Amino acid sequence: MSREETTGPLNQPAPPVAEGRLDEAGRLGEGARSDVFEVFRQEKDGDPMRHAGNVTAPDIELATHYAREFYSRRQESVRLWVVPRTEITDLSDPDLLQPPLDRMFKKPGGYVMRDKLDVAKKRAAAEKK
Amino acid sequence: MTTEEARLPTRQLIQPDVPTFDRRTLKPEARDAVTGLLLTMADDEFVLGFWDSEWTGIAPLLEEDVAFSSLAQDEIGHARVWYEMIAQLTGDGADRLAFHREPKEFRHARLLDHPRTDWAFSIARRWLYDTADSVRLAALAASSFEPLRQIVGKVVREERYHLMHMDAWMRRLAGHDGEPRQRLEAALAALAPDALSVFTPLPGEERLIDAGLLSAPMAELSDRWRSEVGGLLKELGLPAMPDGRPSADGRDHSNPSDSFRWLWGEFTSVARLEEGVQW
Repeated sequence: MSREETTGPLNQPAPPVAEGRLDEAGRLGEGARSDVFEVFRQEKDGDPMRHAGNVTAPDIELATHYAREFYSRRQESVRLWVVPRTEITDLSDPDLLQPPLDRMFKKPGGYVMRDKLDVAKKRAAAEKK
Repeated sequence: MTTEEARLPTRQLIQPDVPTFDRRTLKPEARDAVTGLLLTMADDEFVLGFWDSEWTGIAPLLEEDVAFSSLAQDEIGHARVWYEMIAQLTGDGADRLAFHREPKEFRHARLLDHPRTDWAFSIARRWLYDTADSVRLAALAASSFEPLRQIVGKVVREERYHLMHMDAWMRRLAGHDGEPRQRLEAALAALAPDALSVFTPLPGEERLIDAGLLSAPMAELSDRWRSEVGGLLKELGLPAMPDGRPSADGRDHSNPSDSFRWLWGEFTSVARLEEGVQW
């Protein structure tokens, strides 16, 4: 797998693969692959899973071991998710996520409530009398 | 920091893993036998931890470098726990046991006398040892000596992951024909004659068994180990470990090997700089 491919669909530069080491050691055999796995961690029960970082590993089994050593060897996690980067669907198209037309009306702040609220308060006060 | 604070030993700041216990709960003969057993376990973990820590910075993958170094640290951590337990049993000091004994006083198994060699060798040795250690720990899981049983329960949980990690590498190396598999086969062949040394019969072994401290004799544990390693070796088409029983001199270092002398020189080099100094 080439360096470009390991970059995956996230368009992020892959962490540098230690090619010198692979070559020098030459112990992974022909066709050795190094894939990037994204790691998510939960700090304590009930917390959301948060992105922790990633590990480069030849397969999911070693990726799991590396994730454990990198993100929980000081007992800082109660759960890890290890996901091959290539399995992540990336959505970053500005047309879909940042449409050019005004979307203020989709936000609560898009409505000016102050004047309406004043009128309603006055009416309520008048009705009490 | 005041001078007073500076004098405090750093060790006290670490949460003690070994509970304080009354050593008189063990009869003197049983105490000697337990001390002998613990020393073999501590020295095994300590020596392996130092050999494997030599991969820091030169492992075949960056991530493996961090992970393997962390495993090596775990082993030294386990050794620390066992040395501290011995220290409580005998009134000795954990640091003295670790850094101030002569090479001939160590009791690690001969399997751990070999140098680091190549990656396949370190993986094969670690896998053989971790499997043996798990069999030994299982034989202590129901020990009648409460503090020992407690620590074994904790150590087993870490060793489980070590073993899974080593299984993964055994499959990886054996599954790639050519150099990886050749190197693994050569390593296993070189280590096989010493593999049983982890189960070298202990002095006072019958006492340990009679007192319910250890569940079976070492020779019997060696058979269990052979069948444990036999499973994966067979699956991977690798030769089984040789038959036979552990010999009596598997932990004898009255004439220490050159490789262990060298390692000892390394791991005691700082401690020996100035005798009796307070760090």
